[in-house]
Amino acid sequence: MSPSVLICDDSNMARKQVLKSLPEQWKTSVQTATNGAEALTILRDNSVEVLFLDLTMPGIDGIGVLQGIQKLKLDCSVFVISADIQPEMQAKVKALGAKEFIRKPVKADTLINHLQQHGLL
Amino acid sequence: MLDFESLTSSVSTEKLTLNESVFEQINKQIANQLNTGIMVLDSEFNIVVWNRFLQIHTDKVSVDILGKSIFHAFPELPERWLIRKLASVLQLNTPTFCSWEQRHHLFELPHTRPITTDSEFMAQNCTFLPIEDDSQQKFICILIEDVTDVCHYQSQLQKTLDELATMSRIDGLTQIYNRRHWQESLKQEFAKAHRHDKKLSLIMLDLDYFKLLNDNYGHQCGDMVLIEVSALISALLRVEDIFGRYGGEEFAIVLPETNLMGAIELAERICRKVAATSLVYNNERLEVTISLGVAQLSSYESSYEALITHADSALYQAKAKGRNQVCSAKCDETSILD
Amino acid sequence: MNKFHLTEDQQDCLQELINVAMGQASDQLARYLDTFVYLKVPSIESVDAKELLQSLSQQKNTMAIVSQGFFGYEGIRGEALLAYQEEDSGRISDLLGYEPGELSKDEQLIDISSILTTTFLNVFATQIDNQMSYNAPKLLPSVQNSLSEHLQQMTFNWDLALKVNINYQVTDYSFNCNMILLIPETAIVNIKNVLDRILAEF
Repeated sequence: MSPSVLICDDSNMARKQVLKSLPEQWKTSVQTATNGAEALTILRDNSVEVLFLDLTMPGIDGIGVLQGIQKLKLDCSVFVISADIQPEMQAKVKALGAKEFIRKPVKADTLINHLQQHGLL
Repeated sequence: MLDFESLTSSVSTEKLTLNESVFEQINKQIANQLNTGIMVLDSEFNIVVWNRFLQIHTDKVSVDILGKSIFHAFPELPERWLIRKLASVLQLNTPTFCSWEQRHHLFELPHTRPITTDSEFMAQNCTFLPIEDDSQQKFICILIEDVTDVCHYQSQLQKTLDELATMSRIDGLTQIYNRRHWQESLKQEFAKAHRHDKKLSLIMLDLDYFKLLNDNYGHQCGDMVLIEVSALISALLRVEDIFGRYGGEEFAIVLPETNLMGAIELAERICRKVAATSLVYNNERLEVTISLGVAQLSSYESSYEALITHADSALYQAKAKGRNQVCSAKCDETSILD
Repeated sequence: MNKFHLTEDQQDCLQELINVAMGQASDQLARYLDTFVYLKVPSIESVDAKELLQSLSQQKNTMAIVSQGFFGYEGIRGEALLAYQEEDSGRISDLLGYEPGELSKDEQLIDISSILTTTFLNVFATQIDNQMSYNAPKLLPSVQNSLSEHLQQMTFNWDLALKVNINYQVTDYSFNCNMILLIPETAIVNIKNVLDRILAEF
């Protein structure tokens, strides 16, 4: 049984990289968003269980999405996948409720490890 | 001709690998033939490798160098600055550079060029490269390139360019500013005075009976007089005053931040000094005098040319009133000497 | 980006590679400066020689420009220009951790430019399985004529340039600099090959 997954990143290639790294059985129930506003809309209207979120996006960025999720009190496991890997940023996203911070470019085994650690696999 | 077969230990379908010992020999020979210093430091900044170039160009021996801190081996190095630079190589794993244009040299190595240069030391371009050994320990490789020639020729070129620039500003005979440059300077001072509401005065001066002097004593005498009088006047001026040759026997002085009173006082001093100084030509004593016109920048002058005109007409007045005197643009009184 | 004739996929791929390189470079920079670097999405545009000169000469404030050549395998090479506004260049020695007066103004600019350029290009190179070497950075005279002379005298013919607008904002300091990568057409062909190789993995 695969959970509903949302991948949010403004880069097509980055979305493909995440998709490629997902476990096979998850690949069928994946939605995508190209910016923060789109992601929040999808999150609000659907029950998304796992979110893979980029930080540097134009408009509402990753931080904005995390804040939105907190405000809407959505039940969603967020994994931030980002190019901005500074320790302060990592701490910030964790403080805003993200389960993990994963640095780009994402690798399949790293992703799967994290999912296992958080009991999603 | 190299026997390629013996150099390669295996010929696989994918790539050739050079025999290890050949590689080592080539490296050793290159490292020691290069006209560049090679030094390797460990992460504590101790010297672990140095090549023949350095051995030759420093008066030091390996036993005093290898294993020692670079700062003990070369006490002339700016320690704090260099530590920061070396740290950046280790921490960021990126190269950094120091060119002779920023610091002439880091290591005090006497240069060996067959030319006399401005410095006894070799001018250097240094490159700092991050390297790792087989066990992934970090080191810094310093390349020291001798660029004494480049540095020397570059500064020669610059000196020549500077001379050229100066020549185009200076009057050949008297060595004071030529008219073009003097006028440019006046233009700038004028603009400055307007912008910052500062005072500005101008003295136009002229040698009295100069044509007569030339006719009686010849042009060489005339030239001598021009040179001497210029020197006399220069000595009485402040650093900020701008003195130039305006015409054949006409000179001009720009006096920044000076009012009319100050300018007149200076003009009178100059007038007295020239009159009091005897010049000698062919064993004959010459008495030379000058006339001076003074004007101060006021709201009437809308351009620097207008200021020149006012000073000039004051000069004309001084001539008309008998020469060897100073007249100012608002001339009610003249100062008559003797 | 049409002048490069990059497909949309190639553009997207390149932008992503640059984002990742920026992220890691900023992190390295932040650790080295012992501060936090605010990262914005770098925008990329292609410009031709005339446009570049025009836009640089239209800058109202005096600018300082540091240029550094880079070269990697597979013909991927070029020159990186880092352009600063005059007012930003004053605070850099402090930022770099030197005592005031320990470093001349020129040296400060050159040092930080080298750090920005090499950390960024190193990471970028790693992502495309390449490795970069660098020339010593040079501070160009800020007069306009000298800049165009320099651009004309470059050893390769470049017609196109990739302008990556990077805004570095460091806590307590904020300075702007634009990185302009001048890449000859032959190198662009090679870059496209690399991008295609990466895209083929998906």
